[in-house]
Amino acid sequence: MRKFAIVTDSTSDLKKETREALNIDYVMMNYVIDTKEYPASLDWETHSVSEYYDMMRKGTRVRTTQVPRETFEACFEGYLKEDTDVIYISCSSALSGSVGLGVIVAEELMQKYPGSKIVCVDSLISSVGQGYLVITAAKLREEGKTIDEVVDYLVTNRLKVNQFGTVESLEYLRRAGRVKASKAFFGKLFGIKPIIISDIKGQNFAFKKVKGALNCRKEIATQIADVVINPEEQTLYLSHADVPEEIEALRDEILKLAAFKDVYINNIGPIVGASVGPGTVIAFCVGKEVTIEGNE
Amino acid sequence: MANCVIDCELIRRMLDNGFRNLYVNIDTVDNLNVFPVPDGDTGTNMAMTVEGGVHAADSNKASNVGELMKDVSRGTLFSARGNSGVIVSQYIRGMAEAVVGKETMTVTDFAEAMAAGTTRAYSAVIHPVEGTILTVMRAASDFAVKHAAEFQSIDELLNAVIPVMKTSLDHTPELLPVLKEAGVIDSGGAGLLYIFTGMKMAVEGKMIDVTTDKGDAKLAVSAGTFGSDSELEFGYCTEFILQLQNAKTNIKAFDLNKMIKDLEALGDSIVAVMDDSVVKVHIHSFTPEKVLGYARNFGEFVTLKIENMSVQHNEIEGQKAAKKEHLKYAIVAVADGDGIESYFREIGVTEVVNGGQTNNPSTDDFIKVFEGLDAEHIVVLPNNSNIVMTASQAAELYDKADIRVIKTKSIAEGYSALSMMDLSADTVEELIEGMTEYLPGVTTCSVTTATRDTVMNGVEVKMGKYIGLDGDSILCCEDTALEALIAMLKNLPDIDEKQVITMFYGSDVSDEELQKAQSLISEAYPLIDFGCVYGGQNVYNYILSVE
Repeated sequence: MRKFAIVTDSTSDLKKETREALNIDYVMMNYVIDTKEYPASLDWETHSVSEYYDMMRKGTRVRTTQVPRETFEACFEGYLKEDTDVIYISCSSALSGSVGLGVIVAEELMQKYPGSKIVCVDSLISSVGQGYLVITAAKLREEGKTIDEVVDYLVTNRLKVNQFGTVESLEYLRRAGRVKASKAFFGKLFGIKPIIISDIKGQNFAFKKVKGALNCRKEIATQIADVVINPEEQTLYLSHADVPEEIEALRDEILKLAAFKDVYINNIGPIVGASVGPGTVIAFCVGKEVTIEGNE
Repeated sequence: MANCVIDCELIRRMLDNGFRNLYVNIDTVDNLNVFPVPDGDTGTNMAMTVEGGVHAADSNKASNVGELMKDVSRGTLFSARGNSGVIVSQYIRGMAEAVVGKETMTVTDFAEAMAAGTTRAYSAVIHPVEGTILTVMRAASDFAVKHAAEFQSIDELLNAVIPVMKTSLDHTPELLPVLKEAGVIDSGGAGLLYIFTGMKMAVEGKMIDVTTDKGDAKLAVSAGTFGSDSELEFGYCTEFILQLQNAKTNIKAFDLNKMIKDLEALGDSIVAVMDDSVVKVHIHSFTPEKVLGYARNFGEFVTLKIENMSVQHNEIEGQKAAKKEHLKYAIVAVADGDGIESYFREIGVTEVVNGGQTNNPSTDDFIKVFEGLDAEHIVVLPNNSNIVMTASQAAELYDKADIRVIKTKSIAEGYSALSMMDLSADTVEELIEGMTEYLPGVTTCSVTTATRDTVMNGVEVKMGKYIGLDGDSILCCEDTALEALIAMLKNLPDIDEKQVITMFYGSDVSDEELQKAQSLISEAYPLIDFGCVYGGQNVYNYILSVE
């Protein structure tokens, strides 16, 4: 059996120690400030977390690019040259075009290297929800599962990853064109928090509104408790855009209602961060399969 | 001359004089304010309500009391405004129901109609409170029914019933502590007594002389489609008949065509005709004063009419715009202040009924708005405790759409409901459930000027100073609006449990004061989401929705 690499991208929001421990590689998208491009490292080498989000708070507009072709080629080809196949677990295709380009590059390279295999899996989610799928794939590989078995598992289970998050302002997501929001969200409203899920197409969908920060945490906790299956056997995945106290408050609220075995908290990386904005908090768990499709 | 039989003619006079007597005493009733804040004027509201009945009686030519009262009832139901107005309209409705089919009334019939009116009035109020107009109504009808047989004429009945009402009215502060604290009697009850006194005078042949044409000048407040920020888009439709005068011009040599040419420089749509020494002119002009000055060079006006065409235009446009779209849900909200009105529209209100603390809209004002909408469900936000009953009455009378009234008692509650609204809801029940979810937790705070000295809630209130209110309860009295705003929040009992403050600032708040207010509140309550909207409301410097 050929070895296979597990590759993800900058939207998986995985910590360095996690990636190293489980031998996970990632390809970087870029973020663009004014006209200058920076590789979207998950280890914050160029801007620190607070530098990055403070820039946004002050009104700096950050744009993002998908994973460049050369990056895909260099990464994928590097593995194929070493007789190693690749699973690329991408950001939701509803949020980034990277997976589409990944598929094209993969096909070209598989022709160039007959007998090799690159499978691109659309995670239909982002941030540490995507990260969770990547970690799971790496663990299955450790258990000795084949590349096809791992891919099967991902495709079968990806919609069981539930997302419940909120943002300080819907404006970032709207400007980035990365949210569907119903008629409930027009006009300038104060203290109104949208609850944002990832729907069956991997789109962000503001499906409910809640008033007040505390009520919002309670609502996210209630939603998690409602959909989660066997929390005592799983890790609660949380990510936040530079609001460490708030994510801890959210964690405490969720743990009151669902007894997770463990909690994983990380910063929202620069790519997801650019479209959700500072102040965002997101919780992910594995539970009932998502059935909602967002529309406007 | 004693009136043993009550016929249509007498009822018309009684109703008219009841209205007249209330009208001449409007200020007295309006000033019976429990709270030292400018608020819904009971006297004005009741008078406008009864006036609707008077107009209905005037235009009804029936000689059958049952028929007449049916129209009077309908007239007052539609003109009802304010809680007391709604109660009076229901009282008259009860009376009308009691006399269906009657040609004339006896004294006993009248007493029984009073009792039926009282029953109707009580049933219109969900939680009837004693010490109000209801108490006075009941005292009167209980007495009338019990003693009717003893009286030969309506004169005698009214003569006896009025002292009973007076006693009941004077007793209202003993039944309702807020009246006692404020040192007033119930205003609605006082209004009712003026109406009955006017009726008594009518049966005695003493009609009150209201010189100001039934007070149309004061009462006929136009909803006004031309506001303080409107632009004069279409000029004035100016029409006059001019008597040419020998002292000013040579009438025989007067050249109408030259006049038309000259007028063309001042406007358009000109029609001018001359008959002997009289000229009739119609012109649309932005400067009617110049038109008039020019015309007076030749003579004096016999008649003169100038109308702002933007008003007509806006009314027509308003009707057209409202008709155009079929909606599943339409939201009708009462709002006072240009800022609140436009903000409410921005966050999803379909149509605004103008009104608020000092100008309560009538049932008919609501119905006219309903008629302009094409919607399956209409959700109404009255946004004032003195408008809730009027809105409910309008909802009951209107049958061309499903109308739901969410009983919001303040602008702050209305905002809370709107902020949680989701017009993509599948059912109206779901829509309302969302809108009402947070209503129990809304605190309405406001800052306004005290209208008199008093001590309330342990706070010493001085007329002209600024008071901060939690609902009806006075929390503080300070020298400036800003101080009152901050002290009010500090004294708010459950401020620590609150998560969101939305503040509407009035038209009198300066930029400098607003900036100070914003930074003081943000600093004092860092964990609360705080937002600020221009409300442009009168009366209140600040209205806050604290949730």
